[in-house]
Amino acid sequence: MLSRDTIVSIALLLFCGFLIQAGFQIRDPQFGELSPAAWPQAVSYVLTAFCMIYFIQSVLANKADIAAAKADEAAVRHTGVVDWLRYYANPIACFALYFLFLATLPFFGTLIGGTLLVFALLSLLGGIAPRQIVLHAAIAVISVGAMWSLFTFGLRVLLPRGEIMPGI
Amino acid sequence: MILENVAAAVQELATFQTLLLMTVGASAGLIAGAIPGFTIAMAVVLTLPFTFGMQASQGIATMIGVYVGGLSGGLMSGILIGIPGTPSSVATTFDGFPMARSGDPGFALGLGVWSSFFGGIIATVLLVAVAPQLARVGLEFQPWDYFALIFFALTVTASLAGDNMIKGLISGALGLIIATVGEDDINGVKRFDFGFEYLGEGFAFLPVLIGLFAFSQLMSDVRDRVKARKALSEMQAVSIKIEHGRAVKTIIADWINLVRSALIGVFTGVLPAAGSSISNILAYDQAKKASPVPEKFGSGYSGGIIAPEAANNATAGGALITMMALGIPGDVITAVMLGALLIHDVVPSPAFITEQPKIAYSIFIAFFFANFLVLALQSGALRGFVLVTKVRMYVLASIILVYCGIGVFSLNNIENDMWTLAVFGVVGYMMRILKFPLAPMILGVVLGPIAERWLSRSLALSTDPMEFFTHPWSLFFIIVSVFSIGFSWYQQERGKKAWTFYYPPALMLSLTVPLFMMGGFVRPALAVLLIGLAAHLFWKATRRRHSEA
Repeated sequence: MLSRDTIVSIALLLFCGFLIQAGFQIRDPQFGELSPAAWPQAVSYVLTAFCMIYFIQSVLANKADIAAAKADEAAVRHTGVVDWLRYYANPIACFALYFLFLATLPFFGTLIGGTLLVFALLSLLGGIAPRQIVLHAAIAVISVGAMWSLFTFGLRVLLPRGEIMPGI
Repeated sequence: MILENVAAAVQELATFQTLLLMTVGASAGLIAGAIPGFTIAMAVVLTLPFTFGMQASQGIATMIGVYVGGLSGGLMSGILIGIPGTPSSVATTFDGFPMARSGDPGFALGLGVWSSFFGGIIATVLLVAVAPQLARVGLEFQPWDYFALIFFALTVTASLAGDNMIKGLISGALGLIIATVGEDDINGVKRFDFGFEYLGEGFAFLPVLIGLFAFSQLMSDVRDRVKARKALSEMQAVSIKIEHGRAVKTIIADWINLVRSALIGVFTGVLPAAGSSISNILAYDQAKKASPVPEKFGSGYSGGIIAPEAANNATAGGALITMMALGIPGDVITAVMLGALLIHDVVPSPAFITEQPKIAYSIFIAFFFANFLVLALQSGALRGFVLVTKVRMYVLASIILVYCGIGVFSLNNIENDMWTLAVFGVVGYMMRILKFPLAPMILGVVLGPIAERWLSRSLALSTDPMEFFTHPWSLFFIIVSVFSIGFSWYQQERGKKAWTFYYPPALMLSLTVPLFMMGGFVRPALAVLLIGLAAHLFWKATRRRHSEA
């Protein structure tokens, strides 16, 4: 069975192949000594060499190392996809909420969207008992309100506004 | 000239607004430092968005306030609860916590606070004395030398990688790739845009940085549901009074320990990739070895608090020397500051102090002021800082996540930057899970465009690659780079393999070539000295091998 490092190194090597291929598609304006493609291509080749070493290292890793790594991994995470999802449930949910916040930003705007995001994150991470919901709502309104006011009035930043309430 | 620059810098910084900003920054740093699990780098990163609207010197002064505050803040939780707020205060807990537990917390805090202060002041003196001298050398640099210098800084990624060098190198190279996305600076040609307008504009430095560092750190902090719901520390609101007089007397009586530790701190800071997390332990170790009562270390001995605290604050001065004199970041925090300067269209380089004396000396003075500010804040608001650490992690993380988004938007008023933040948050988190170090990637992102620019300028002057080996400074940095790449192996095998005995003399001998090429009197004399030292080390190593055989 392939170790985690081997899988990662293969993925990286595929990415390198993609980069090298993309490097050839960079337009050369035919002036200047250093073509726009030269530096990214050079870095891509260097990255490929490093990934190759990483791949070889991971394959050559002795059995003891693999066993130790497996034991280590087993201690923090289980093997099944469901277990993996459960283990990383909080970060996955946080990222999902954050991307949802960004996707709905044109509709809600920063003030409302941000407040909803903080409230959702607090409830997700801290629990949804009735008393907590009130506390989380208060924290969300006060914190995002203060941030929004500071950036809008203090730093004069025109934060994204939403269709729902174009004024804010 | 120096006095004029210092006067101009003092005038620039001694305004109510700047001092207020520095006070806020230092307070934020103290709070971040006092919270276990919060890093100083993260605090400095989160300060960045606020500095856009400020002048460059004001912004940097605020960030230096956070930096110095963070270095000092770690001692509070370390001494009071035995959990260091930051890695730079690990050694402080060895004696600070036992002293506090034995009923002397006020004295322990006093020793920590004042040692930090004195360490910072010693570092300031060295910063002002050494950086301009070192920067004068920078005026001799030509494009080939600049490129070789940046190349050297990039090889430092190998040392930043810690246990797994190849992962560090991959991380650094990925950082370079990230920096190439979008229009290139020289020809304006789009690279790696794949037809997407979003990619064609390239990634702004700040969203990438905050995503990689802060966003992913917050996700790591809330991964465990139980830990996320706990208070950041169980410290009780204390009514301890810091014993200033007694602490200062003790530190003055142990001044050799203080000065030695501060020098260790500055030296560690000057070395690329070695930061305060190393210097505090090094200084503690040296203090213990040099002490007439080493057995007292670990049981609440004053020398065990003075050494690490003096060293960790002095490290900041050392890191600033490298950043200002050579234009290369010594650690992640100075990499962030370098990025902040770039945002203000100030490009740190070896000519930075000469070309931008006002900003350069503002950094010196801000570092000096920051030490006083932190001393005053620590003394006056201990109770407040302790109360902040009682906030639950999930509350802090939720609020900071939204703040990150708003902060990066304020950079260019572009919503795409918020997407970049989230995407690099995912990338950073995955890298953490897969145990890839993030610091090399950040260095790659910062240094990549600078390296490409100098390479282009070098090639515009001459396409002969031998130019890199015939210019003495360029050759100097190439040699140092080669040895820098091998340094991790040297550290791992030091004393175990025969070749490690020949590594330092080989470096010394190699460096004599560019030193002779530089001409004059001092540098060839230094080369002769290095030859003598290398010969001595060779002789010692050979004798040792013979005796072992």
